Amino acid sequence: MEILSIIFIVAGLFFLIVAAIGVIRLPDVFSRSHAVSLTDSLGAFLMLVGIALHGGLGTNMLKILVVLALLYIINPVITHATVRAALRSGLKPWKKETS
Amino acid sequence: MKIFLLYILVLLAILLGVYLYRVLQGPTIFDRVLGLNGISTKAIILLIVMGIYFERVDMFVDISTGYALLNLVGALAVAKYLERKGVP
Amino acid sequence: MAIRSRPISPKFLFLKAMVLFMFWVLLSASFEWIHLSLGLVFSFAVAWGNAGHSSFVPKFRLWSRILLYFPWLFYKIVQSSLHLSKLILHPALPIAPQLISVESKLNHHAAIVLLGNSITLTPGTVTAEVDRNKLIVHALDQPLSEGIKNKQIESKIAEIFKDQEPDL
Repeated sequence: MEILSIIFIVAGLFFLIVAAIGVIRLPDVFSRSHAVSLTDSLGAFLMLVGIALHGGLGTNMLKILVVLALLYIINPVITHATVRAALRSGLKPWKKETS
Repeated sequence: MKIFLLYILVLLAILLGVYLYRVLQGPTIFDRVLGLNGISTKAIILLIVMGIYFERVDMFVDISTGYALLNLVGALAVAKYLERKGVP
Repeated sequence: MAIRSRPISPKFLFLKAMVLFMFWVLLSASFEWIHLSLGLVFSFAVAWGNAGHSSFVPKFRLWSRILLYFPWLFYKIVQSSLHLSKLILHPALPIAPQLISVESKLNHHAAIVLLGNSITLTPGTVTAEVDRNKLIVHALDQPLSEGIKNKQIESKIAEIFKDQEPDL
């Protein structure tokens, strides 16, 4: 059980680091929002499941899973609201220069 | 296991710094809002790992639930305001 | 867009109050009678205050099919997460962002909500604008936008809502 939870947590950390690199490297708001949503979906899932496995069965595990479900409901809403505000205020998506 | 959790905490704090760079640097205001959203997700994970580290998960999980709900309200309010106001 | 709310039956009111009450018990984690009775009173008050049933929430008997839909969605999330991390870690950053406009054949408010949330939850694609059944989607590169255009997610959702009367 301990080893399984360590594997989950390390995989989650990998996705969190990739998302942070993406937030630095990608060129504009719209593509950065993809990196943030990568963290929110798979990174948070793997991290929180690993932590819940570490704690073992009980009320705490149930509470951590409730937080996870809450994250899955809330995050698409926030990302959509931000991207829609960016699009409506007239921002143009970045395009690769064709040379 | 305890020392492993400590390393995770330090790594998460460094990742928070990366997002903070985006918040301070971001060319448009939407980059800053997006960075704050990423910071809040990371902070929720950080709080729960901290709860495991100090062996008080029952308390820290409640704090992180409240943080997630407050983050929803705040981010929606900011996005709605910027949509009405137009790009600054 | 006018939102007509459906009237709610007493049975559904009771169910809603019970879900809220379970959430209360989970958060308070104490079983003294004063806490439990306060929770019961407040959960019924909140359920009664929100008695109109929004048309953006799927009907109760569809939830079992939606729960069966989630594992498939999770498989799609894992697939496109791996694709996206390969794109980000590639030294040349081979991305080609594009805005595509999709018109869906779904004709329920709740189905459109489910479709938009699924697209946003999948890394690499974000719903940027929704107007009735026309969606504007921002995709990070060509294979991801192909995945939206061939309407895999939409056909799954259409299967969930196949025996409901359209309300859009």
